[in-house]
Amino acid sequence: MTEAVELEVKNLDFYYNGTNHALRAISLPIFRNKVTALIGPSGCGKTTLLRCFNRMHDLYPNHRYEGEIQFQGKNILGDNVDLIDLRSRIGMVFQKPTPFPMTIAENIAYGLRLKGIRQRHDLTERIERALKHAALWEEVRDKLNSSAYDLSGGQQQRLVIARALAVEPEVLLFDEPTSALDPISTAKIEELVVNLKKDVTIIIVTHNMQQAARVSDMTGFLYMGELIEFGTTEKIFTNPDKKQTDDYITGRFG
Amino acid sequence: MTFEQKRKIESVTALSLSGLAAAVGLFWLVYILTDVIIHGIGALNLNLFFKDPAPAGVEGGGLRNAFVGQLMITGAATLIGVPVGVLGGTFLAEYARGRKIARVISILSDIMVSVPSIVVGAFIYAIIVRPLHHFSGWAGAVALAIIMIPVVLRTTEDMLSLVPWTLREAAFALGAPYYKVIIQVVYRGAATGILTGILLSIARVAGETAPLLFTSFNNNFHSTNMNGPMASLTVTIFQYAMGPYKSWHAQAWGASFIVTLFILALTIAGRLIIKWRYRR
Repeated sequence: MTEAVELEVKNLDFYYNGTNHALRAISLPIFRNKVTALIGPSGCGKTTLLRCFNRMHDLYPNHRYEGEIQFQGKNILGDNVDLIDLRSRIGMVFQKPTPFPMTIAENIAYGLRLKGIRQRHDLTERIERALKHAALWEEVRDKLNSSAYDLSGGQQQRLVIARALAVEPEVLLFDEPTSALDPISTAKIEELVVNLKKDVTIIIVTHNMQQAARVSDMTGFLYMGELIEFGTTEKIFTNPDKKQTDDYITGRFG
Repeated sequence: MTFEQKRKIESVTALSLSGLAAAVGLFWLVYILTDVIIHGIGALNLNLFFKDPAPAGVEGGGLRNAFVGQLMITGAATLIGVPVGVLGGTFLAEYARGRKIARVISILSDIMVSVPSIVVGAFIYAIIVRPLHHFSGWAGAVALAIIMIPVVLRTTEDMLSLVPWTLREAAFALGAPYYKVIIQVVYRGAATGILTGILLSIARVAGETAPLLFTSFNNNFHSTNMNGPMASLTVTIFQYAMGPYKSWHAQAWGASFIVTLFILALTIAGRLIIKWRYRR
């Protein structure tokens, strides 16, 4: 494989509450401008792994990382990593849409203001660009100043994606982004994910194996905190090496 | 007796008892309110608002000193109590969330809510009035603020806790530092609830007499000096209602009516905000 590696997970172990060993010796590469899917049954550690990439676990006490995650050659699990900077470079979209209690435009401006962008015309231009990027512009162009809560669930999720894109991250993490959405909204988000990979590297956690097959280039299968198998999506879904992977994707367990 | 008959009797009994209890409660409330309205409206005139008290026993005069004092003391209490309450509630809901200290402070502040207000008055008398050797508007304001703080603190804590945690995570995930997450996202989500709590806490202290008796005391003259004794409507009502003069009684009714109206307005405003919020 010749693709550039954006993130490299090296022998990562993760503990909740000091003792709960949630991830065991995970190693995998995340390739630039590819979509990497993390699949596995509930409680397998896929969301835990995803939340290591932007150090979301640091919000809670008694967590512990062991091992490394190299981001463009630098370990992001070190003590002296600037989390604010890291999180503005590695964005995240959650399971349920998380619009802030503000207008549509303010939602997007929020991240931009955090980055120190304050000039009116600059903000307006970036808001429009982000909304177009997230394929939401046509639907909201006339109501940028109405509350984000007036949007439908699917639109809210795209608004949140636009908000994440506005700060121009290098990586976007998706944590089951469509599990709270209807099929039509889901299709729109999936299409968006595929379109976005030319600009950002994407890691997506999903329960839905068809979704992983549709949107991803690489797939990692996790089970009980271990990475059982990692490879191209095509290989994982048609000819996996491990029996456990085969059992899971054919629906025999999980 | 069939099972159905028995059930119906039980239902009718429970309904009549609870209905009766409600009627007894409402009766006194309506009685007090109509009494205050009838006597109060009769006593209203412009002099009440724009003139200071006449010498005892002399007809005429008004309660300008008490209106001004009441507004200044309540206003100062709000300025002291609201920031402390809101920031304290923020500490409990955000920085100390899930820690033992948060539980302890919450429980203590629930106890504080039900401490008799005269105890607060006596406390301020001991720590402010005695050492300074004089009553003062500030002492009254601090006493009222102490009554407000636990109310505002607990409302703030509750309202902040209602803001979904995922919203905070979303803001963190954009690279926001915690104080910006709180000020720009969490406060916005909880703003109407916190505002309601503040209004209701002002309503709570606006009718207090006991804590002011020992602290701001009273003043028959117009004064805007918060360092000296200050008149307030509630203490004036207390003094005038006990007094021997008809004109005092009338003015006490007028003042009672205004205080009641003020508290009613604050309470209704608080309710309207809640309603307006949940309609969205």
